[in-house]
Amino acid sequence: MPSWKFPFRKSPIDRQFDSELRFHIEKLTEENIAAGMTLEEARRRATLEFGGAERFKEELRDVHRVPILEATLKNFQWAVRFLRKSPSFSIVVILTLALGIGANSAVFSAIDAILLRPLPFPDGDQLMFLSQYNTKVKSPQTELSTLRLEDWNRMNSTFQAIAGYYAEDGSETSGALPEKVTEAFVTPRFLQVLGVSPALGRDFTPEEQHFGGPAAVLISDRFWRRRFGADPNALGMKLRINDFSQSIVGIMPASFGFPNRDVDMWTSVPTDAPYAQDRASTWYRTIGRLKMGAALAQARANLATVQAQLGKQYPKTDADLAVEIAPLKQTTIGGVRGSLWMLFGSVSLLLLIACTNIVALLLARGVQRHHEISVRLSLGAPRFVVVCQLLTESFVLALIGALIGLVVAGAASNVFRTLAKDLPRVEEIHLDARIVVYTLACSVLATLLCGLFPAIRGTRGALSGALAQNSRTQVSSRLPLHWFLVGVQVALAVTLLGGAGLLLRSFQALGRVSPGFEASHVLTLHVSGSWGETADMKGLVQRIDRIIETLRNTPGVQAAADSAELPGVPSEFQTELKFAEGPADPERKIVAESRFVSPGYFSTMQIPQLAGAPCQEPKLIVSPSSPGGVRVEAGSVTVLVNHSFADTYLPGSNIIGRHLQVQGNAFLRPEDAGEIRGIVGDAREVGLSREPTPTVYWCISAPSPDPYYLVRTHTEPMALAETLRKEVHSIEPARSVFDIVPLEEHLNDAFAENRLRTILLTFFAVTAVSLACIGLYGTLSYSVTVRRREVGLRLALGALQGQIVKHFLLQGLAVTLLGCAAGWALAAAFARVLSGMLYGVSPSDTATLFTVVLLMLLVAALAALLPSIRASHVEPMQVLREE
Amino acid sequence: MPIEKSDLLQGTLDMLILKIVTLGPIHGYAISQRLRQISREVLLVQQGSLYPALHRLEKRGWLAAEWGESENGRQAKFYKLSPKGRKQLDKEESNWNRLAEAVARILQTAQ
Repeated sequence: MPSWKFPFRKSPIDRQFDSELRFHIEKLTEENIAAGMTLEEARRRATLEFGGAERFKEELRDVHRVPILEATLKNFQWAVRFLRKSPSFSIVVILTLALGIGANSAVFSAIDAILLRPLPFPDGDQLMFLSQYNTKVKSPQTELSTLRLEDWNRMNSTFQAIAGYYAEDGSETSGALPEKVTEAFVTPRFLQVLGVSPALGRDFTPEEQHFGGPAAVLISDRFWRRRFGADPNALGMKLRINDFSQSIVGIMPASFGFPNRDVDMWTSVPTDAPYAQDRASTWYRTIGRLKMGAALAQARANLATVQAQLGKQYPKTDADLAVEIAPLKQTTIGGVRGSLWMLFGSVSLLLLIACTNIVALLLARGVQRHHEISVRLSLGAPRFVVVCQLLTESFVLALIGALIGLVVAGAASNVFRTLAKDLPRVEEIHLDARIVVYTLACSVLATLLCGLFPAIRGTRGALSGALAQNSRTQVSSRLPLHWFLVGVQVALAVTLLGGAGLLLRSFQALGRVSPGFEASHVLTLHVSGSWGETADMKGLVQRIDRIIETLRNTPGVQAAADSAELPGVPSEFQTELKFAEGPADPERKIVAESRFVSPGYFSTMQIPQLAGAPCQEPKLIVSPSSPGGVRVEAGSVTVLVNHSFADTYLPGSNIIGRHLQVQGNAFLRPEDAGEIRGIVGDAREVGLSREPTPTVYWCISAPSPDPYYLVRTHTEPMALAETLRKEVHSIEPARSVFDIVPLEEHLNDAFAENRLRTILLTFFAVTAVSLACIGLYGTLSYSVTVRRREVGLRLALGALQGQIVKHFLLQGLAVTLLGCAAGWALAAAFARVLSGMLYGVSPSDTATLFTVVLLMLLVAALAALLPSIRASHVEPMQVLREE
Repeated sequence: MPIEKSDLLQGTLDMLILKIVTLGPIHGYAISQRLRQISREVLLVQQGSLYPALHRLEKRGWLAAEWGESENGRQAKFYKLSPKGRKQLDKEESNWNRLAEAVARILQTAQ
């Protein structure tokens, strides 16, 4: 018995011993006094007679000691000793569990960070995302104007505060070279809504938030380290952003990165600036913090009332607007929820397969240990105790597996970041106490799943009978339970493989899509520009035209253009339109995707012109009263429409020459009707996985001060990156050129989530198939061992080796086939879960499932071959002599 | 010559304690006195054996114990026989009698 003692000194039970023993000594003393001794002598004799009280108090403690801890400890010692005696068995089980538990914890760490945890702000669940939309037309208008935002903030009763923000890339020129920075423009109350304060310095003062007040900026921890080497004296220094000097008043904590991680600085935009007084210019994405106890439904009702009031007050701009509110967490996470839960389900199936595999191993092992267990039971060990000991063995294995699994999970964040760097909240994935607890819980679950059944089964049955018999003869050679477990593994593996097959097929289909434009040899880049430049539209348009011209004239460049959005990268701008000449079909609304491109876009992207003439940039006329100081000359706006637009909205008649007006959009007013100059081919502009939709291309090269520049090169596009940067720098020395990336890389990134789930599910499926094959191999090998005598006898009686091989092979394949049949049904159910994630392949695609089953059978046949051949090499004489 | 615990047959002490406790709730000191008196000073049970035995029997559920006031007004732990203990005592007594009889017969016959 280990000399382990309770760590505490005086327990209640110890005090009881004391008083019981003291009572005894006092009685002895009394007796001695009665016999005529003095008090002292009597006490001395009594103590002497009683003997060392301490010594047998220890014995008393031994009687009462809770045996669980000691028994557990002993169980652990035995278990470790036992597992060390059979290292190969232990290693197989540990690695299987490490993989199963590790993969599970890894996916859970992503789910925990992305889906379960509140956003990394104090009381993050109170944060809401607010947007407006036009109830009359199908055009997006999620951003708010300054005035409306301030109205909502002032008039509502359910939010503590509402604030807005938008971010743009700019150029910081106080250093030697212009540096590209991402600047967020925020309304008052921005930090208050998020519940964050600067780590150093302070928030904006009210003066800094008024028009004409001092220009102040808060910088990110990252920018502070990069630019100032984390020097606290950075506070008060000046930065020159887009030729505008601003003082640093605060440095944000390292953990703060809102609206995104790339933001380098935050600037306050005055709400009382003259240029901010237009209710129709929508600038801000809007967030609000709910009051304590206010529910989402209340907030929705409340803001609806507020907006209805505004509608009465400003009928022209506000009457058709409604408010949408959603938890900020939900809008941040977006659509990855489905993928993550699907992966979690898959990885749990994988753990189940791993456990099933181990159950089979433990069952086989239980038979080997039957003798040992019978001896222990017959020597009086209660069954419960033996079961506990067997479970402890499983637990030690699961625990070691889980610890290795933790290392796997720890690497998970890197895997997620590598596979899908744009995954929302991906930077929040990391190993912490919650993941450790989850992993330990997994190991306990695995212990019960793997260990309980074999332990109970292994300790069942006659005691003395088993002792007397030879363990070999009393095992049923049919092993129905083992084969059942193999079938289960095969079925689950086929399920995962079927799902992976469908995802791979859809990925393949995406790769084969012909997008209608040529993505290779196209380089994309940005040149910093700020919305402030829209005050001089003419200058802005000239600047952008000059940059495009410079790019096009660089040697090695075939064509250059710009576009507000990248082709094929998911982004939508659905607008409602009207023919100025009157509707072709009054019943039918015209809704189309609007893209803003320079005239060279079509030659750069190689989108063919099917009819009509190329489009031209609109002519600008100086007009001091208009925003931007210019207005578009009437009738000079031209558009091209794609084939599906012409086909959908004006089939059969000539569309060229008609004029399109945009409904309910501040950027393109109805008076800026665009003349349709021509028809171009259909291209998958809004995403490679989406069929081309009716699209209108507005030939306006300066829809924003910072569009994407697209450059078609003759050779490998990245080889021109530095040349292009230098060329642009020579004409725009104060601007930074950044994000020089081939278009194909953007297209790839757009499928990051798709790729993540495809790669992970394929990995899980391959692992599952391997595990199932190991299970099949193990069970068949075991079956061969158990049936050696029978095989020897058959061979002795003249059976051919080939017949023996065939017999075992067919047994393995029959079980696999049954597993595949069950797996087919499960895979069909799994496919329904996947249906939203598939492209170009039906969830009930028989060819995929058929291939999966064939693959499974093939791999299973390989796994079954070795033990079958081994069976046929049994030496009959040797086996028969053994008995 | 007094017989010490080590000479007692294994389990005998337990049986003797159970027997003495049948008389009613009794504390450890009184049990040791009774053992000595009834066995006419033949059985000297060390406290070092008595108390662990008492606690062991209590733990097995053969003895029930509770704290009460002793004859001199002090708190003492009183043991009494549980129904389970009574069954055990009956069993051990009959075993003992059979054994004693058998031993006695062998001794007589061998003379």
